[in-house]
Amino acid sequence: MLQYTLKRLLLTIPTFFFISLLLFLVLNIAPGRPGAADGGDGERGGQEKKESYRIFKEQFNLDKPILLNTRFALEQSEVRELLVTGYNLGGEPTAAERIEAQDNLEDYGNYLVRHLVPLLDDSDPGVQQVAADTLTVATQMRFVNERRGDVKAAREQNREISKKNSAVKQWRWDDDASEADKAEVIDKWKAWFAENEATYTYTGQEKASAFFFDTRFAKYWSNLIHLDFGISTADRRPVFETVLSKLKYSLSLTFTSVILAYAISVPIGVFSAIRQGTKVDAGVTIVLFIMYSLPTFFTGTVLLRLLTEGEPFAWFPTGDFQTMTSDPMTTWARLKDILWHLVLPIATYTSVSLATLSRYARAGVIEVIRADYIRTARAKGLSEPVVIIKHAVRNGMIPILTLLGGLLPALVAGSVVIEVVFNIPGMGQYIFQSINLRDYNAVMAVLLTSSFLALIGILISDLSYAFVDPRISFD
Amino acid sequence: MTSSNADTARAAELAAEREDPTYGEIVWGQFTKRKMAMASMWGLVALLLLAVYTPILASNKPFIWHTVADGWSSPWLSSLFDRNFYENSVDIFFNTLLVFGTLVSIPVLWVFHSTKRLPRRDRQPRRRRALQIAVGVFVVAFAGVEAFPQQAPKTVYPKIEQALEAKGEAVTAVYAPLPYSFRDGELTEVRKPASVAHPLGTDNAGRDVLTRLIYGTRISLTVGVFAVALYVTFGTIVGAIAGFYGGRIDMAIQRVIEVVICIPSLFLILTVASFIEERSIFHIMVIIAAVAWTSPARLVRAEFLRMRNLDFVSAARAVGYRERRIIFQEILPNALAPVLVAATFGVARAILVESTMSFLGLGDITVPSWGQILNTGRTTGIWTLILAPGFAIFLTVSLLNLVGEGVRDALDPKLRK
Repeated sequence: MLQYTLKRLLLTIPTFFFISLLLFLVLNIAPGRPGAADGGDGERGGQEKKESYRIFKEQFNLDKPILLNTRFALEQSEVRELLVTGYNLGGEPTAAERIEAQDNLEDYGNYLVRHLVPLLDDSDPGVQQVAADTLTVATQMRFVNERRGDVKAAREQNREISKKNSAVKQWRWDDDASEADKAEVIDKWKAWFAENEATYTYTGQEKASAFFFDTRFAKYWSNLIHLDFGISTADRRPVFETVLSKLKYSLSLTFTSVILAYAISVPIGVFSAIRQGTKVDAGVTIVLFIMYSLPTFFTGTVLLRLLTEGEPFAWFPTGDFQTMTSDPMTTWARLKDILWHLVLPIATYTSVSLATLSRYARAGVIEVIRADYIRTARAKGLSEPVVIIKHAVRNGMIPILTLLGGLLPALVAGSVVIEVVFNIPGMGQYIFQSINLRDYNAVMAVLLTSSFLALIGILISDLSYAFVDPRISFD
Repeated sequence: MTSSNADTARAAELAAEREDPTYGEIVWGQFTKRKMAMASMWGLVALLLLAVYTPILASNKPFIWHTVADGWSSPWLSSLFDRNFYENSVDIFFNTLLVFGTLVSIPVLWVFHSTKRLPRRDRQPRRRRALQIAVGVFVVAFAGVEAFPQQAPKTVYPKIEQALEAKGEAVTAVYAPLPYSFRDGELTEVRKPASVAHPLGTDNAGRDVLTRLIYGTRISLTVGVFAVALYVTFGTIVGAIAGFYGGRIDMAIQRVIEVVICIPSLFLILTVASFIEERSIFHIMVIIAAVAWTSPARLVRAEFLRMRNLDFVSAARAVGYRERRIIFQEILPNALAPVLVAATFGVARAILVESTMSFLGLGDITVPSWGQILNTGRTTGIWTLILAPGFAIFLTVSLLNLVGEGVRDALDPKLRK
């Protein structure tokens, strides 16, 4: 058993890795760019907007290739081709081609430097000029992450980087610049490159490490190890903090519901099972079946329309987790307020899980009640309640106990529908809003945390089989 | 003398057949014994017929149109394959069923009826042949309709009729019981309560709710059936390969399945759906299928693992059949029972997922999906817009679940008496 548990625990690591890989690919291959509204859209706005979008991309590693990096293998002729296409220096590219080439030049960044410096001596003065322009962007150094480790040192370092960045930014010339100015700038670049050449040429080892590690996915994982899910593109706050703060809303809703559902469904299932075939059983089965087939969004909408907003009954608040007020409330009053708000969502959530659980409980007891040991217990002369509760129910509950492990992910994930309908600021509503805002870091964080919890839930559920039923052994 | 001999031989043959029903017949016999399941199945057949014959109940094109200037015509008939009127391929598909399906079903039903008394050996090839021809004709017809899209100018006949009658011209027009379009509303008829003209009232865009509701049947059934067909096919093939070959292939497939089942499916479905800019109903089917294929794969895999060392498989190997034949023609037919049950429940689930998606505004916004109607009900608070689609979803899902339970019980040998 221990061996099996260890093996399963170890297996969760690669599984989680592949989950993250799959989700990462899905999110990154998807069309539509995050933060595009900030100025990354089509024909750009001014230079300033373009620069801020470039920094935005850098911040979120969107300029890196997704999974594997081959940019160290760029050829000088390819770079020249990009310059010519991107700045319309011949070959009559379409607008789309031009934008693509410009985006590529922006994204390739540092990898362009060693090809751009020789291009400063190109025969075409136009190419010379755009090569210098591109160099001012390509040599910009990335800021270090201030959210981790020694914040002060990181800030200091970033100030240094910023100083260097703004220095190189000036090394370009305008269309009407004189030959002497041009030569001066070119000389500056050459001197600079001679000094920094080692940084921009790549050894075999550096190439190998860039191939795997200078990518979006690798950068994401290197942050993930520190539980850093990145910052939200919508509100610029660390995503993981938001996820954790949302968790308490989802949990207080789902946890109460599941406890309620178990507390109600087991007696109903047992009651229905020991009266199997009677009219009462048929009635209960039909009611449960109806509850099982009613979609949550329908139940939720009907309850909301029926019992809130004055018409026809104004018994409950229309949504939200609690009353939005700045007045100080006692703990008791606040708790009552929250409960009051949660009655309808909990009722909606419970109705579905209740139906499922009761059906399992009934089936479980019916399965057991025919067993020989029940007959034996009766033959021994035990009273009917003892037979049912001690012998039948205990064993009949095995299937629905193991269901609990499967419920864990749903518990954490909450329910998108219920949270959206009742306006509860939990995980479900958060992912729904983030999806609509294209806040990839947030979506990824929610998907990853809930997948991780699902993984653990499935593991617990598998292990609990052996735990509650000694007949099952994994060895 | 000879003829009576032949008769006796025939009778003996018939008797022999009666003693030896096929597996399908046993299961069907079990299924017909369950009244609830049978009733639900007829309910589903009724829903399917409703979906096919929807334009007869609701269309703003008149069946018959006559004016002095135009002469006699049938705008309804020519609208059935009109891409400007029915923009969606789902509607074109059902309209093809309406016209060509009805046409081919008559000879097929006749063949079925006339072969009723024949022994199985004679009956089955004829019936199969008839079905093959019917499906062939239908496929050709649908391909033709899709390949040569008709596009007529948009004409709103009820309005023209009013205008002409105001001028005093004689117009003969025969409309469907609900002379409305599911797409275009009447701005003077916004938020009308239920009445004789609008049995379920109108929505906030002035569209007849009942019309939208019955056109929504087409969407739900299509999504349910096609999404399930898609993922059951894929999952079955993957599961069969994993179970049959075992070893490393099985290991790899198992890991992939594990990865997919850990990701909360609704989250993933909503995320992927939001990336597709003009989402169509087909995207939605594919997304649902991409997440759901693991359950048939696991079921089939388990069946294959159980069966791959049984005698009949060894026999097939000994005869020298190719692996593909052993997998798909020897083992697979015996492994499909649990898949059939899962597929029936799967249709119900797929319909629920689709309505959840459109309820959250992440479905196909151009089609009158039930979830979308319910969402309008939620935002506007109009009761018919909440209750009608909710009841439609509930009814469809219940019928499917009941049929699923019937199929499950019918396939379970323990429950046979």
